[in-house]
Order: sequence, then structure tokens, then C-alpha cells
Amino acid sequence: MHDIVNLEAAGTPGVFLASTEFVDAAAAQSRALGADPAALFVPHPIQDRSDDELRDLADAAFDAIVVAITARADER
Amino acid sequence: MTTLLDPTSEQAPGTRERARRPASLDGLTIGLLDISKARGDVFLDRIAERLVARGHTVARFAKPTFTKPAPIDLRHEISTTCDVVIEALAD
Amino acid sequence: MLPDGLIAVVKRDCPTCALVAPVLAELRTRGTEPLTVYSQDDPTFPEAIGGAIDDRDLDVSFTLDLDTVPTLLRIVDGVEVARTVGWSRDRWAELTGLEPLGADLPPHRPGCGSRTQDPAVAAARATREGEQHLRARRVTLGAEEDDAEAMYDRGWSDGLPLVPPTAARVVRMLTGTTRRPDDVVAVIPPDLVECTVEKIAINAVMAGCRPEYLPVVIAAVEAACTDAFNMHGLLATTWFSGPVIVVNGPITRAIGMNSGINALGPGNRANATIGRALQLVIRNVGGGRPGEVDRATLGQPGKFTCCFAEHEDAYWEPMHVERGYRADTNTVTLFAGEGVRGIADQLSRTPESLTRSLAVCLRATTHPKLPIAFDAMLIITPDHLRVYEEAGWSKARFREELDALLQIDGAELIRGAGGIAEGVPTSLADTTLPKFRDGGLLIAHAGGGAGLFSAVIGGWASGKMGSEPITHEVGT
Repeated sequence: MHDIVNLEAAGTPGVFLASTEFVDAAAAQSRALGADPAALFVPHPIQDRSDDELRDLADAAFDAIVVAITARADER
Repeated sequence: MTTLLDPTSEQAPGTRERARRPASLDGLTIGLLDISKARGDVFLDRIAERLVARGHTVARFAKPTFTKPAPIDLRHEISTTCDVVIEALAD
Repeated sequence: MLPDGLIAVVKRDCPTCALVAPVLAELRTRGTEPLTVYSQDDPTFPEAIGGAIDDRDLDVSFTLDLDTVPTLLRIVDGVEVARTVGWSRDRWAELTGLEPLGADLPPHRPGCGSRTQDPAVAAARATREGEQHLRARRVTLGAEEDDAEAMYDRGWSDGLPLVPPTAARVVRMLTGTTRRPDDVVAVIPPDLVECTVEKIAINAVMAGCRPEYLPVVIAAVEAACTDAFNMHGLLATTWFSGPVIVVNGPITRAIGMNSGINALGPGNRANATIGRALQLVIRNVGGGRPGEVDRATLGQPGKFTCCFAEHEDAYWEPMHVERGYRADTNTVTLFAGEGVRGIADQLSRTPESLTRSLAVCLRATTHPKLPIAFDAMLIITPDHLRVYEEAGWSKARFREELDALLQIDGAELIRGAGGIAEGVPTSLADTTLPKFRDGGLLIAHAGGGAGLFSAVIGGWASGKMGSEPITHEVGT
């Protein structure tokens, strides 16, 4: 979260991915940093998943990731 | 905790604004920052595969440890070599 | 609503209140009506009656408009009908109807000052009350945020540090004007947003203004946002220009503006922050930011701030008088100006020679071959003005002579003349063209007492094509 906020401050847009376990922590961290970084959440847990399951999670998140780092139509 | 009065027209959010996003990823370098937590690399490998399949350029980075913010040199390298960045995967 | 019966207001930090504590206990036991006791500093006091109602925030004390403690009052149907201050056995007996009362006490003892009379307390309360009337969104910074950095991060800064606009500071800033915080002052370009006195005050705090500067800032915002001044176009142009503010009238002395040494430079808080406040209003309220709507090719440092007072105690009438205002009226004159350029002439002892010098330098503003289209402001310094004073040339005479010297033969100005493509259409070869349109040259007087120099501030596209200089009265 710090990293994305710092990179955004340097002008590089970014998105931060975490498991759903981090939703509250991310919100608190955002408040503490006075920022609203783009964050996406994939279903918890991560560390005991098989490779195939992790690739499925990545595929499921892929479109949302692209959306998070590109401008909405009304921002272009 | 400091509270300030908003000096603007209040048409934008009171939090720091996000960096301006590109209209499309075509021709851009996309940084993938691995926070170095177990199994996150598999997730990022797949994201990289998908991006490369779409013709995008991908640059891979990893933090020394997920427990601390990225060192300033690494941040500088990412912000000077990449147009956008994807950081994963906290659990 | 005040409770009926007797009310006493006390504080521990008052020997007379300690003295009357047994009397309050006596009233509780002997009296037939309720006694309500408030303590201004410590609700455990007076112990003799098991403490009092907490009035440390002084709500009750301010409502009762106290100046002394102890104060004893009688309330009937929520309305005060009797009051006595300090300790007086006779008056307390009369007010309570109980006699004898406080038999062991001396007959009289003066009270102490109510905490409401403490200037710091009164100021803090005024601030709290004022804050309730502020409508701006509260931006609460993160626990890890540095306030100076936070303001940069939110895009509020012109690049220089800002004073954090806390509610207390904004309330104090608003004491500088009689206008209500929610009064709409102007519609600010480029986003065309209605701007209230409060929003101007917030930006004035950030710019570093003192409250007494606020009326000048408000007048500058009003003048900038007129159709004729055309702040929108001035912001968006690729040219160098930004608003230059000349302040006239007694207020310049009252708020300590600089019209002397380094008047156009740094060092004076009012000069520096009034101009900056106008720019911050345009940036933050209007949304006019460099690189976005502000398309200046190079810009210039005067776009951070450019504001000065005219030196009015001089041989020539000041700018605002020349433009139709009384000398004792406070005004701002806004001019769409680019950078300041020096004019040296250390040898002219006659007004004829000096005027020719000034004319040839004025001709070079924007481009020596471009007439009429751009205005300018000439700033005459004391050493140069002395030449005119000694020769008895009025400002009107100077203008007349200068105008004559700024009539230029079209053949020198046409495209290609002098081997320079820039210029006016060749069809104008047989005409005579003035360097400045009617009203297109402003003349101000400022500067230190030494230096045979004057200055010119080039303008922007003049009049309806661009910007009209605006003189506007400063309110209260």
C-alpha cells in the first residue's frame, strides 16, 4: 500500500492486489496515508493454493487490473 | 490529527489524487512488483503471461521483504522505467 | 433554558468563592427553593455541597454574560430577575430571603474575574463559534502525514510551502472583513465555480496573508473575475502574462505595503501574499493549473505573485486618481502583465530627453514592430520623476509628449521591414500607428529614492481582444 501511494506520488499509476483478508487493513492504511490508492482483492487464502488455483485467480482478476491502471472513458 | 479546510471547489476528492492514468496500455512498460510473499510469484507470472500475450512490455521487480515499504532506489527504478505498476500479492 | 430558583456560578481558583462555599451549603439545607451551582474550573468544587455542575466550557457563564464570580442569581420562568456579584451578606440575604445568612463571614468581600473575561478564553470561544459557520469540507490528514507534504500531495500549492488552513486560522482571517463567510464574491475561471468569502479566506491563509489584507484580496478576486479583465483568457494564454495588482489608497499604509525600495521584489509580507492569494484562488477554486488550462510557454516568476503599492505622496497624481477615484479611496488596479524590464537613463536632465529615452524603450515591449495590440505599464521611480517635477511637467503633459513620440511610421512596422518578417500588414505602410491604443499605457510611481531607472511591465493582448485593466474599490 505504501509502495503504490509512493509510486503514485511520483506520477506512476498503480494498483495493489491483496486477499480479501486485507480489505479492512487496506482501508485503514489508506486513511492513515490520506490517500485512495487503487486496490483489488482476490479471495482469501493465497498461500495454500495450488499453482492452477492461483493462475485461475490471476485470470479472474486480470480485466479488473487493466481497468484499474487505465483511464476511464470520461478521464481521457 | 490535523484537520484542514478544503481550499478547492470540492469537486475532487479530499484525499490525494491518483496519478493520471493512460488511456490504454499500448506501447507502455508495465512494472510487476512482487512484495515477496509466498506464492505471489505464481500469480504475477500468470499476469505477466497475459500482458505479454496482449503485446505489452513487462518489467519484473521484487521487494527485499514484504514487511517493509520498497527501498527508495527500487521505487525510483520502477517510476523511471515503468509507465504503470501492479503490486501483488498481500495475504 | 436556565433552571428556576437560585443559580450560583463559582470557581475554585477564587478565594471569595471558597469563602461563600459554607453559605451555599447553608442555602441547600435551609432554603426552600432549588439552588443550582456551576463551577468554571473544577466540578468537584465546592466540596461542601458535593461539587457543582461542570461549566468548564463556559456555556452557562457566557449565556449569563458573567464578569465576576461568585455570582448569585434568581431565575423565574427561565428569566433572570435578580443578580448579585461577589459576597455581600446583605445582598445575598435580600436575594435569597434568608436571614441571617453567612453569619460567620465578613460582611463584604469582592469577587474574582469570571473565566469568560480571560482574553484567551474569549478568543478561543469566538473561534469555536466561528468554526461552526464554516462550510468548507474538512480534510482530515492521515496520522502518518506531514501537513506541509499533505498540502503538496493534494495539489494545493503553487510550488512554495503553504500555511496549513486550519479552521482556527480561517476564522481569524475572516475577522479581516465585515462580509459573511458564505457571501459569493465571484465566479472563478476556468471551472466557473462560485467562490465565497470563506474560500478566499482559506486560500489567503495558505498564501500567508494577515486578516487585514483580506479586503484587498477579495477586491483583487472581484476585479480579476470581471468579463473585461478576462482572467480566463489570461490564464489560458501561451503568453507570459498574469495578474499584476497595484494597490492605492490609505489601506496601503494601514497594512504596511511596500511602495519603496524593492517594491516589486521580495521582503514585504503584504505585497508578497496578496498577489499569491489571488493566484491560489484561481488555482484551487477555479481549477486553473499550469500545464492544464494554464498553457504559458515559459510563464514568468511574477505568476507566483505580483502586487505592490503605489507611492502616492508624489508630484504626479496616483494611478487611481488618474482613473477617476478619490485619493482617499482604496482601490486595486489589475493589469495583465508579463515580466518587469528595467529602463536605464542616468544622463537625461531634461524632461524632453528622458521622455525620448522612455519612449524608445517602451516601443520595444512585445516587439518593436508590433503596435497597438499589447498594453504596458510604465513604472516611474522617484529619481526619474524628479526630472519632471523640476521642469514642471504634469502627468498629463508627460502623457501628451510621450504619445507624440510613440506614433510610428507604418513603413518601419510592416512585414519585411528591417529584414524582419514579423510586423503589420504591408497595406499599412503609408499610415502612422501608435505603439499603444488609447488607455493602453498605465503609469505608476514606485521605488526607492536612489537609482536613475524606471521599469516597464509589458502587457497582454489589449482590450476586447484580451484584457482591459480594471480599477476596483476595496471594500471592508
